[in-house]
Amino acid sequence: MTLIAELPAHPGTPGVAWLERKARQMRATCIQMAHDGHEGHLSSVLSCMDLLVALYNYWLNVDPILPKAHDRDRFILSKGHACTALYSVLADRGFLPAEWLATYAQDDSPLPNHPCKHALPILECSSGSLGHGLGIGTGMAYGLRLEGNRARVVVLMSDGECNEGSVWEAAMFAAANKLDSVLAIVDNNGLQAVGRSDALMGYTSLEEKFRAFGWAACTINGNNMADIQAALAAFPFEPGRPSAIIAKTTGGAGVSFMQDQTVWHYRVPPIEEVEQALQELGARPIHKE
Amino acid sequence: MRRAFADTLFEMAGQDPRVIFLTGDLGFQVFDAFQERYGDRYINVGVAEAQMICAAAGLAFEGWRPTCYSIASFLTGRAFEQIRVSVAYPGLPVVLVGAGGGYTYASSGVTHHAPDDVALLSSLPGMTVVTPGDPDEIRQLLPQMYRLPGPSYIRVGRFGEASYEACEPAVLGRARLLREGERLAVVSSGDITPGVLQAVDRLQAEGLSPLAYHFHTVKPLDTEALARIAERADTLLIVEESVPSGGLFQSIAAWRAEAECPVRLRRLGPPDAFALGGLKREVLRARLQYDADAVYAACKELWTAQRALQLAA
Repeated sequence: MTLIAELPAHPGTPGVAWLERKARQMRATCIQMAHDGHEGHLSSVLSCMDLLVALYNYWLNVDPILPKAHDRDRFILSKGHACTALYSVLADRGFLPAEWLATYAQDDSPLPNHPCKHALPILECSSGSLGHGLGIGTGMAYGLRLEGNRARVVVLMSDGECNEGSVWEAAMFAAANKLDSVLAIVDNNGLQAVGRSDALMGYTSLEEKFRAFGWAACTINGNNMADIQAALAAFPFEPGRPSAIIAKTTGGAGVSFMQDQTVWHYRVPPIEEVEQALQELGARPIHKE
Repeated sequence: MRRAFADTLFEMAGQDPRVIFLTGDLGFQVFDAFQERYGDRYINVGVAEAQMICAAAGLAFEGWRPTCYSIASFLTGRAFEQIRVSVAYPGLPVVLVGAGGGYTYASSGVTHHAPDDVALLSSLPGMTVVTPGDPDEIRQLLPQMYRLPGPSYIRVGRFGEASYEACEPAVLGRARLLREGERLAVVSSGDITPGVLQAVDRLQAEGLSPLAYHFHTVKPLDTEALARIAERADTLLIVEESVPSGGLFQSIAAWRAEAECPVRLRRLGPPDAFALGGLKREVLRARLQYDADAVYAACKELWTAQRALQLAA
């Protein structure tokens, strides 16, 4: 029996306990996908999972029946390497068949190793090259406002991604144009592909940087559902300013032996580690019995 | 050409309410009328080319028809990866406008040179690449670019260039016959074409009659026209203001090889080198041997050589 049966869709705003269980189930799903697809990035996938679960299970105005509804909120996973987190949540919410998850990173799959809009047209855009999502999101927000559309635009980035100058070009643009429909979330797991983001950014504060660029910003524990819910409830933080959530997270969050280790940016878990992780999580992948 | 661009853009925005203009902090006073008339459809992004392209992609995803304007070297070189990933990969209908492509800004130095804009943009799948020769071609071609389903790039020169006479209108994707003739075809692209025509007109006054074709659309290459030209001429003199790799000459050379066409090809244009010295554009073109005098001399030599070959046969 899968946990889908145990965890029916929540009728209203789900509680913290429900969301936490959902996040464990999604983590189990992604770990299985990494193993089956022989692709890594689990550290980044697991660190942002709680954020994605909260966004897609009650906060974003998106509907699997009308995935291209004109007033839908736009969500961009700018850190495209964490795509299994998005794929699993989209499948769980009915945006794509759960069976597709088993094809992740296979030849011609609709779910490639970095999200491709040609392969999966319900995406707002392809991603995989860091530093594009916020710029695209600000363009969307500008265009939506111009036509009187009140849809919100959410861009999930990594902290390593904030090394890119283009992120700050976009941040400047969003503030200059008062794009308060934009929510940037930085998955601040502290890990980059090779080093630690704090060291590479000179031990400076991302929240202060966004504030200096004219944004309203807050820092939360991005692996704490109550924290995430409180931050999302406060959006937009200030009228006339874009909002940024610096979500302090742990790479590989939720699985003891994957936590806070750079190696899990690359490592694909062998089957015994998958089993160990699923046991720790107390959850099974949604696409496997 | 800048004025022709600004005027045509203004007209297009009047016809299509989705047309929206982004500039990388360039075009002082050139777009004042646009800004006044269309308000928020004018966006000065600042000196931030990457952001200009990504924002244009976001706008295009939402159904707008963005036009991005900057100096060609910064637009195509600095923001190349944004153009590749965020505009070309999804195939969005964004019109990219490179002010001063080639060596328009010759005297401003290497930082402002863009002899590689055509090669860079032509490397992208689905990108239409246009290098008009005069202001009139901008007026004719730009509206056609807005009807494309995918991305396009257009080189725009300076202010105040004269327009030239041609035998037919400018149609996007089609080579344009500028001067009727025979045996030798001068094939050019971009705003060096008025110089080419000076040379051709001078030759025609002397009784020599080369054909002149303008390939304002470098990509896709009009291979049908090439086949027609090759039937009427045994030599093509290709004049381009582009680096030798990836420009019109190489495209035509590749076509010639694949089509197994026996036509002879010659090239006039800049070499594979940075153009140092801060030369004025006309001086640079003369020194690098692709100005009107150089075209005239090359045509004369080729014409005479052909004659000698024919006599020998």
